[in-house]
Amino acid sequence: MTTFETVAKLLAERIEVNLDLIHPDTPLETLGADSLSVMELIFDLEDEFKISLGDERPTLVTVQDIVNHIDKYIKLAAELQG
Amino acid sequence: MTERVVITGLGAVSALGLGAERNFAQALAGVSGIDFLELSSNRKIEGCVAAQIKFQLPELIKRAELSLFDRFAMLGWIAASEAMQQSGLTTNVRGLENTGVFWGTGFGGAQTLENAYMDLLVEGKNRVRPLSIVASMNNAPAAQIALRCGFGGTVNTYSSACVSSAQAIGEAYRHIRHGYANRILAGGSESLLTFGIVTAWESMKVLATPDKNHPEQACQPFALNRNGLVLGEGGAAVMLESLSSAQERGATILAELAGYGSSNDATHMTNPNPAGQARAMEMAIATSGLSKSDIGYINAHGAGTPAGDLTETDSIKRVFGSGANRLMISSTKSVHGHVLGAAAALEFVLTVQALRARAVPPTAFLNEPDPMCDLDFVPLHGRSNQKMVAAMSNSFAFGGSNAALIVKDFVL
Repeated sequence: MTTFETVAKLLAERIEVNLDLIHPDTPLETLGADSLSVMELIFDLEDEFKISLGDERPTLVTVQDIVNHIDKYIKLAAELQG
Repeated sequence: MTERVVITGLGAVSALGLGAERNFAQALAGVSGIDFLELSSNRKIEGCVAAQIKFQLPELIKRAELSLFDRFAMLGWIAASEAMQQSGLTTNVRGLENTGVFWGTGFGGAQTLENAYMDLLVEGKNRVRPLSIVASMNNAPAAQIALRCGFGGTVNTYSSACVSSAQAIGEAYRHIRHGYANRILAGGSESLLTFGIVTAWESMKVLATPDKNHPEQACQPFALNRNGLVLGEGGAAVMLESLSSAQERGATILAELAGYGSSNDATHMTNPNPAGQARAMEMAIATSGLSKSDIGYINAHGAGTPAGDLTETDSIKRVFGSGANRLMISSTKSVHGHVLGAAAALEFVLTVQALRARAVPPTAFLNEPDPMCDLDFVPLHGRSNQKMVAAMSNSFAFGGSNAALIVKDFVL
């Protein structure tokens, strides 16, 4: 599963929207995901990918923003392990 | 010029069941909701009983929003929704800018907090769920109710142990009476049946020790062998309105909230004081404009502790004198346990229904009354077809706070 697919799946479950409505460029706001839902989603994604996103507070507007944020830390974790 | 305050909606959820009517029917029949405690974690507290809600709660909240809700807020929202529905008010419409929420809770989001501590201190995790604060803060139920109903008026939370929701209802009464709001959804909710908090209560040695064959009979207020209180969980709510507001929208008026009194013992953190309790009752009666002989029924605080029940017997005698002997007094905690911050609201919801039904719920399991508690505590069986025009609900708390609420028939 790609990062996007995982993000989309957990986001769909969390905010109860149809998975088909979630695309990389979909604004989170139009899906009804407010800042509190996104915070909870990030928490779940940390568990899912076994990463820690630290104290960074990025601006997350679209689904792709979340994917990029996660990918950055997956890469960082891989580098640290390597 | 003060406003009269009327009741246009009731809501309740407790170990007795879902809905105000169901709770009253069970209380009237003396059916207990008390059983052995089952903790959600894999921990056990041997021999501990509780008035725990073991049935599935209605799914009123979208799954996406569940992270915002500790169980105490969920129980609050369930009760508030019922009261709102019965009142006939519509949510999120114009004209609710002067409608508020006054809510009571003792421990707030106990389960969320305990989960966070477990994660950090036991599981060794280095983080907790991001919404732990907004889910567990004491004003979460009041805020959620206001948000979901679109109530733009004053939203207050009272946390005074076992009188929390009596203060919420009573202060709402004052608020409406003096024109600060035309409607307030008032009540309380509590859910603290967690390993840590129940253990803390146990260590105070105030919890009832049950007969293992009859856990449902563990709470025995005013009985000779009473030996403590039984913790419970639940939520209860009343929609309060100024008479003019209720009349303007053609609402069905269930009863009138006629009086409220509050006091503090200022004598001891936990030992109750009859003079302090009597002050609250006297103030409620004076505010109501009723005579003492108008009060036909008292829903007692009656938690089932040796000192508490004796003190309440004394304080009622101080207030009513020889008239105390003609009062029907019962403690419904015998069946719904002590719901702490929600107790007063739950008992007030039962008291309103007792008045309306002219039927008094019993003090269940009062087989052998304490000779020192020598008033009519309506032992064992409820009573129907009783004459009364007003009823009072008493609530007393650790910290010395006392409160009394009086409901009477609504007569234009």
